[in-house]
Amino acid sequence: MRLSTLLTLPAALLPLIYAKEQHSYTEHLHLKPLPDNSLYAGFTFTSTTPYTAYASNHFRYFPRSLAQILQYTHTAELHLRFALGRWDEESWGSRPRRGSREGGNGVELWAWMDADAEEGWSDLVNSLSGLFCASLNFVDSGKTTRPVLSFEPEGTLEELQETRNGTGELRLLHGMLPHEVVCTENLTPFLKLLPCKGKAGISSLLDGHKLFDANWQTMAVDVRPICSTGGDCILEIQQTVDMVLDIERSMRPRESPIPRPLPIKDITCDETKGYNGHDTCYPEGPGGEMGWSLSSVFGRPIRGSCALGGGEEEEGFDITLKVPSERTVEVISETAIPQSTSSGSRAYRLPKDANFDLDLPHQALESSSSGAFALEQPPLYASRQLTGHGAERGGMHTLLRNPHPYAQRIVYLESLPWFLRPYMHTLELSGAGGKMEKMFYTPLLDRQRGTHLELLIEIQPRSTVEITYDFEKAILRYTEYPPDANRGFDIPAAVIRVLPNNATQDQGQGRDYYLRTTSLLLPLPTPDFSMPYNVIILTSTVIALGFGSIFNLLVRSFVLVEEVPVGALAGVVWRLKDGVARVRGMLKGGGVGKEDDGGGVVKKGEVVVGGEVRKVNGGGGGGGKKDT
Amino acid sequence: MALSARLLALRRSPVLLKLPPYLSALCILVGLGWLLILPLNEYSRQTYISENAILPGQVHTYFGGSEHNVFRAYRQEVYGLSERSDHERIAGLGNVMREQGLKVANQSYSWNVAGEEISGTNVYGLLKGPRADATEAMVLIAAWRNFEGDINYSGVALALTMARYFKRWSIWSKDILILISEDSTYGPEAWVSAYHTTSITPTANRNISSLPIKAGALQGAVALDYPAGPWGQRFDKLDIAYDGINGALPNLDLFNTAVQVASSQMGIGCSLHNLKDHSDSYKDRLKTISKGLITQSVGHATGPHSAFMPYHVDAITLKTIGDGWHDEMTLGRTTESLFRSINNLLEHLHQSFFFYVLMNTNRFVSIGNYLPAAMIIAGSFSISALALWVQSGKPTPSEGAKPMSPGEKRKQPEMAVVKDGKNVALVPKEELEVIERKMFIPAAVVLGVHLAGFIPLYALNHATRSNIPYTFITLTAATLILPQYLARHILSNLPPQHIFIIQSLSLLLLGATLSTLSTLNFSLAFLLGLLCSPLSFVRPLPSLRFSLEQTTRYVSTDDAAGIAANLAVVAPVSALFVAVSPPVVLWVVKGMFFGSGGVEGMLVEMARGWVAQGVWTGAVVWGVWWPAWVVAASVLWSGCWRRPADEV
Repeated sequence: MRLSTLLTLPAALLPLIYAKEQHSYTEHLHLKPLPDNSLYAGFTFTSTTPYTAYASNHFRYFPRSLAQILQYTHTAELHLRFALGRWDEESWGSRPRRGSREGGNGVELWAWMDADAEEGWSDLVNSLSGLFCASLNFVDSGKTTRPVLSFEPEGTLEELQETRNGTGELRLLHGMLPHEVVCTENLTPFLKLLPCKGKAGISSLLDGHKLFDANWQTMAVDVRPICSTGGDCILEIQQTVDMVLDIERSMRPRESPIPRPLPIKDITCDETKGYNGHDTCYPEGPGGEMGWSLSSVFGRPIRGSCALGGGEEEEGFDITLKVPSERTVEVISETAIPQSTSSGSRAYRLPKDANFDLDLPHQALESSSSGAFALEQPPLYASRQLTGHGAERGGMHTLLRNPHPYAQRIVYLESLPWFLRPYMHTLELSGAGGKMEKMFYTPLLDRQRGTHLELLIEIQPRSTVEITYDFEKAILRYTEYPPDANRGFDIPAAVIRVLPNNATQDQGQGRDYYLRTTSLLLPLPTPDFSMPYNVIILTSTVIALGFGSIFNLLVRSFVLVEEVPVGALAGVVWRLKDGVARVRGMLKGGGVGKEDDGGGVVKKGEVVVGGEVRKVNGGGGGGGKKDT
Repeated sequence: MALSARLLALRRSPVLLKLPPYLSALCILVGLGWLLILPLNEYSRQTYISENAILPGQVHTYFGGSEHNVFRAYRQEVYGLSERSDHERIAGLGNVMREQGLKVANQSYSWNVAGEEISGTNVYGLLKGPRADATEAMVLIAAWRNFEGDINYSGVALALTMARYFKRWSIWSKDILILISEDSTYGPEAWVSAYHTTSITPTANRNISSLPIKAGALQGAVALDYPAGPWGQRFDKLDIAYDGINGALPNLDLFNTAVQVASSQMGIGCSLHNLKDHSDSYKDRLKTISKGLITQSVGHATGPHSAFMPYHVDAITLKTIGDGWHDEMTLGRTTESLFRSINNLLEHLHQSFFFYVLMNTNRFVSIGNYLPAAMIIAGSFSISALALWVQSGKPTPSEGAKPMSPGEKRKQPEMAVVKDGKNVALVPKEELEVIERKMFIPAAVVLGVHLAGFIPLYALNHATRSNIPYTFITLTAATLILPQYLARHILSNLPPQHIFIIQSLSLLLLGATLSTLSTLNFSLAFLLGLLCSPLSFVRPLPSLRFSLEQTTRYVSTDDAAGIAANLAVVAPVSALFVAVSPPVVLWVVKGMFFGSGGVEGMLVEMARGWVAQGVWTGAVVWGVWWPAWVVAASVLWSGCWRRPADEV
């Protein structure tokens, strides 16, 4: 028995050794200057672990804390998003990573879980809430939906199920928290999951001050299983941080971050204006590309690579910079940097133990070259607004615009809180080129479940589709209002999935494109909380005073002290005390005062003091200790 | 039992039955007096900031330095654009904002009122708060033409400079919309209504295009009105306009913040209703209150901010007045500080008062203190109505009321025995009789007159500008003739009971409407209550007709003298009554406020308000006041047409 146990240990370790090369970690930074002096920075951190090692709690790069949560909650695939701000499609073009690593404003979470999903989901959100310092635990049944069309698993879940001999189907659950403000306390645990923990490698650029000063930023954690045909599965965690920084704002020194008006000599004036003068200056937009460097934008250079054993021989590059080839780029590093340059992008590998910085000086580029560097047009533009005013009704209005010369099919997902009650008969798809192919709708249940609405729509080439419906605002119970009730209630963003079609597949863009609208603020009828409070306080005080004194007068009977009958218990106690006093008097040897008035019930103290005083006076020979 | 019996006995108390007219008069006096004591220190309060998040004037303002050079350039630019065509101007303003990195869009609108077209194009830019999540927004408005119709050169230039300056800050938690509307009334109206609607369906008299760019829920709006020309002009004070459509007011916190920022932080004095010199004396306070009452009761827009109020967006206009030493930079810093304060808001403005009467920039009366003034006046009508109701239930006084001829034998009134337990009493039978009230005809008359009120409302709002004066003259004549007609042909033939009921119903309706209205638009209810106050005391006038038998033969000198005496009563009363009729009052108002524009100008304004902005003052005038007056006038003159034989 003991022997067999001893033998199983190496046996269990054996696959781990074989799978060593499956423990891997890579990181990558993608930099791309955008119009309007913005800079896109996309950080990707990928680590993998063999499924067998995961199952036996053996981890190298895969974060243990997260893995244990996944194991406990039987989660097969997990997607977690923290997002802030808006991606400006008109200025910045298509979304990075085709929107696949983005979330709605606030926090968004979706996962494929084992059959017993309800309980697992609750465990999952609570554990993640603790791990990421976010209020994920507020994703309750009212905020959870089960989308049908909007999400596809990224991993190979079916093979995984076979490997695990799992039974039953995996279920997708999806929840959003639009009101959650993403901040530094979410970044720190995020970095803690990385092997280098933000101390080295590209993650050393991630500083809360800069990240959360960005115009748009999103952090994502994606865990997915990848199984090969042979049945070997690995589990991959991809952590990404995408952001768009305002170069000018990020380069402001931290000690004086206030954007004071520039001295007039630093402003380029448009001298063609007739009125241009010493005190009149029509400001001209800065010409050319703004100069920046990694250390000035992110506040520090990259502190060497996060080379973890075995990463040496990999030929991957850590940093890709996408700028036109005419742009001057200086690499500042103590050691030689392997790099490759192709048209439109340059790649660099980080030095092992030295700082690394990129410097792009201010440069006026030929307009022709920037034209070639045009932005990619997004597949779809979407905006969603609330309409109407007043406390009773409202309307939802979504605009979807297909700018392309081919038709597109999209999935439009809305998960609405229960207090927004849509009138489904008013749901209308208007505009020239829209056709609703399918609709999935789960009606709401008050306080238990929100509305889930999923539409499969085909949008004709170069056309705009409007989705409108009216809704009613529910009146909440007064305890259901949050402390800032008058702010309004956040309505989660709509998730739009643009399905790939023949036209896009020809262009090599086979994958789905995701975009999310902005979240909305819904004002609900709000009572004046202070008024009932004042009224309650006032009336309670009046009632307490009035009722208290009147009740007191009513139930109390007023008698003279002498008339109060001696209760049974009081009599016994008094008699006992009397006895004790007698005995004590006898022991002291003095004469005991005989004139004790045993009949009248007066206060205890008076009796005793009276008795003693009398005793002292009467006894004469008694101890004079109380005699004063 | 004893108590109710005593109360029932009180019903018959002759003192009590005579009391109501005096009580009504007292109510009106008390209501008026109530308003007059409001300016006293004991009845008004110092304003204070209620919402802690606002922190007015707590931030350092940095607007200055090179921004001044930019401002001057923008002002020249705006001046240059003012000399171009509308189309070029809109494109030019859009370009300036686009260069600053704002998202720019246009919105065109048109209304068709009084046969004229009001049209224009708003241009606006969206400054996305760098870290905002598009759920909330604030609006900075600079109308191209201010409320007086002057080009708002410096205001527009300042808004553009502020936009450029605000763009560099990353602190905005809300988006900022810079709205340059075509005018100060209809442009903002078109913009804000389109902001809250999916798409406004064009109708015969309205065509507003939807907004291509929107942000989140609007949290506040500040309009700048600074019409100084391209070479600038320093100003003395900031006049803060706060009245919204239909007398809605912005949250007092917004107003207070503006006053606090301007006066405490920037040292600019503030004023209300263009009253430059306010010594905080009783007289000045009362003057401010009355000006406020008038603008609020009219219910029309008083600036670009007014259109926002019906959508529950708090808004004010900062208007520069006078000649002083404050320049555009001070106004810019005020705006900056004000926007920083609004930006601080975590919740929609809700903490402070929405119902108030201002008597100085730092003194106000809250609803609990001023509302009784209007309520008591409205109550006077209800009291009269109840008295008339009671009177209508009593039998008509028999001939006993007439003076007795010498030889006549006094008839003993019939008595009845009343028993209550052991008590027995002998009561005149007359006192116990209950007269059945016949309601149909009075109700039909009152209802008919109220429905007729829609005719002037419709006529005035649908007439073309050239026809409006004639329509109104016709209407005035009709208003004065209609009661005569009603009195002659309907009311004079009705029994007195019906007249009482008609008057009672009409006053009851008036009282109820006015007291409801006073919670919505205090000023309108109060002023209308005062104008209607004579209606409580209307009784049929003495007859001016000869008795039937006499006319056939000859006119006795007695009769003629009696008629002359009656005429001496009828004429002044009728004159007074005509003076408080709605059309006549409107003529007087026109004379006071629209001297040059004529009656036409005022009526077109009213029609525009009704059609374009949804001002319901007209509906109140023609649907509440006018019917009440017509009914009362009919009752008044019904006596004149009654033959002496059946005179009451």
